[in-house]
Amino acid sequence: MVKTSLKLGVGSIALIVALFTSCQKNEEKAIPESRALAEEVANGIFPYRRLSTYAFFKGELKNLTPSDSLVFYKPASSLFTDYALKSRFLLIPEGQKAQIKGAELELPIGSVLIKNFFYPIDFRNPEGERRIIETRLLIHEEKGWQAYPYLWNEEQSDAILKVVGAETEVKFIDFSGKEQIINYLVPNKNQCKSCHNKSEQLAPIGVKIQHLNHVLDYGTVKENQLAHLAGLEKLEGFLGESSHPAMINYEDMAQTLEDRAMAYLDINCSHCHSSEGPASTSGLFLTYDQRDPMKLGINKAPVAAGKGSGSFQFDVVPGQADKSILTYRMNSTEVGVAMPEIGRTTVHQEGVELIRQWINSLESKK
Amino acid sequence: MRILFQVLLVPVSFFGLFSCGTSTTEQTFDSSKLTRIGQEEVEKVIEAFIMAEDSSTIEIPAGFYELNTQLILDNKTAIKIKGAGMDQTVLSFRNLKSGGEGVKIVGKNITVEDLSIEDAPGDGIKAQHTDGITFRRINVTWTNGDKSKNGTYAIYPVQCKNVMIDECIASHSKDAGIYVGQSENIVVKNSLAFGNVAGIEIENSDNAEVYGNTARDNSGGILVFNLPGLPKSDGKGTKIYDNDIIDNNHENFATPLGEGPNGNTVTMIPPGSGIVLLAAKEVEIYNNRIFRNKTSGVAIASYQITGFPAEAPNWSPYTVGVYVHDNTYERNKLSTPDLSRELGQLVSVHNAYGPGKTQDIIYDGIWDKEISEKIDSNPMRICIQEQGIEDLHFTRFYLMDGEENIESFKDYQLFQNCKVAVTTDITSLAGL
Repeated sequence: MVKTSLKLGVGSIALIVALFTSCQKNEEKAIPESRALAEEVANGIFPYRRLSTYAFFKGELKNLTPSDSLVFYKPASSLFTDYALKSRFLLIPEGQKAQIKGAELELPIGSVLIKNFFYPIDFRNPEGERRIIETRLLIHEEKGWQAYPYLWNEEQSDAILKVVGAETEVKFIDFSGKEQIINYLVPNKNQCKSCHNKSEQLAPIGVKIQHLNHVLDYGTVKENQLAHLAGLEKLEGFLGESSHPAMINYEDMAQTLEDRAMAYLDINCSHCHSSEGPASTSGLFLTYDQRDPMKLGINKAPVAAGKGSGSFQFDVVPGQADKSILTYRMNSTEVGVAMPEIGRTTVHQEGVELIRQWINSLESKK
Repeated sequence: MRILFQVLLVPVSFFGLFSCGTSTTEQTFDSSKLTRIGQEEVEKVIEAFIMAEDSSTIEIPAGFYELNTQLILDNKTAIKIKGAGMDQTVLSFRNLKSGGEGVKIVGKNITVEDLSIEDAPGDGIKAQHTDGITFRRINVTWTNGDKSKNGTYAIYPVQCKNVMIDECIASHSKDAGIYVGQSENIVVKNSLAFGNVAGIEIENSDNAEVYGNTARDNSGGILVFNLPGLPKSDGKGTKIYDNDIIDNNHENFATPLGEGPNGNTVTMIPPGSGIVLLAAKEVEIYNNRIFRNKTSGVAIASYQITGFPAEAPNWSPYTVGVYVHDNTYERNKLSTPDLSRELGQLVSVHNAYGPGKTQDIIYDGIWDKEISEKIDSNPMRICIQEQGIEDLHFTRFYLMDGEENIESFKDYQLFQNCKVAVTTDITSLAGL
């Protein structure tokens, strides 16, 4: 047995080298746009240079009409990224299933998360004309999750892999009819992990049990997303909505202020600010189930915040949002002060207001 | 030379009344003379970080690289990042639009050498969750004339194991130039830290040796801190020896001039601090030259002195187990302690030698009454054995009865008959 495999050795090494090299070339070619625009065949070696090569969408690419293998999904609360709207799809390979194991939602190898970032020309008409800026793929490969950012071209005919990131100006009319200009930043490939990071392994943020355990309007039917996946035979281990944790939508005014604030902090901050995230260094942990006042930043002095502290002493001063570092950093666009560190160049006014209200409400509970 | 010094000092000390300290924007070389590198070559460097293969070298040729995105090395093993020399390869992050640091490293056995990093809006270079990280001959600085725009830490390993910082230069950071946080097995040697708020800081870390360095013209030279509420709760075991800790009289610019401290502990450091221990555990300080730091040469303090909540799990606010011996001190007779920070005011007003007298060694005298009712038994094990201590300015304060009842004592004798053994072991760093 040993001898046989030794004999096979030379051949298989050559094969591995060939595979390895082709993968390398693929990645290298991805960079200069001129070459990237060349025709490409779907050979199964990811990443492709062009988004269109994956054939995720039917018809004209810019309509983002999902092929039958994609499942639409939407987390209960959404991470703020400069007011960009997002459409998200999940691909689970044919014949395979995601699994709920305890608190974790595990997706099989070959799964792809597809997130499109776009701006309507006029936010008062969100279904109207739009410009798609980027599509981010998270692909679950043998070696773990990989992030690939694709930048859409001017003509909106395709998107090209851009591992070094990009910068583009976006204009739109906001809800109040005012024209807005945003200097939109596409992260470089490794910056993706600044947020998508669980114990230094790349990990999805929105595709977790608690974020998907709510009813979603699929157009034809309204259904709990996990139940929907189970019905499609794409999920195992779902025991009914009430058997699993569920997050709320922080925009849902029917919920309590505290729950909305915690939902907001969880989806916007906790991917870094948790014991398993890169901001574990700070001791500030903002998961929705955090109850320890010190870990929530209440009367907690900062550690390495530098100028992010402004002229303030504590992360959260109960009853005094205007003296809290948390709101100060959310309300800034200065690099080195602004939180989150990447993914936004504008202030999320509604988010700041929610957290302000929450901090101001804390006084009575002292 | 002597005359020139005095002539300079008179206006400086007058000025000092208003500005509360000196300031410097000194650079070790002029990076504006380097060739500007084209965008395509810059993108090649960004790609090289993203696509790096284990056990490879990323060479960055000479030139001035203007980056508008972060350089991130992610979960790689045995990578060397190598420039053409500190004054040859310069990575400028002046145009960085997002991201907490210029360069970020995660991995195993990573070396960064022979390059400079300039003007990162947040931290200069950060390594996290890395076992085996070496910074050798790198220079990290900010070139802004207005230092309030500078970033936080220059060289910033955190949550790392086996950290080697050798022959580096860190200057003008708004917090610490060389900052090692929540790490274990650490050497900081033969490096220069100047013009920072804190020169070199070891925080919540175990087993560190800091030797052969120069910390000059910072607000505080070398700091050993333990802060509450962190995943790595309390660090212990630091040796500080054979360093030059001189002229650390820079104004504290961690907050804008005229503004007081904020919640960052370093904003409370009074200009003129040589070595500061805060809630530190097991520290040995010896064979250092501690010269012309206008407030105090060595300050031994407990976390209570910050006025912040001083309770956290698995953490003690007291500084415990300190051995200070065989250092040389020099006080500048013409300078007076800082008045811009409360700790400076405490020294200035309440020291045991008369108002406005620079101190060589101060001890805040805050002790744990659960261990002993009185301080006479030296319950915090503070051991001071300096040659000619009778000629040094040693002040022990008594601060435990409120601001109205501050007392001070010259009783170094209480802290002489003692033995504190601090052990460190840096053999695991031998190969770095």
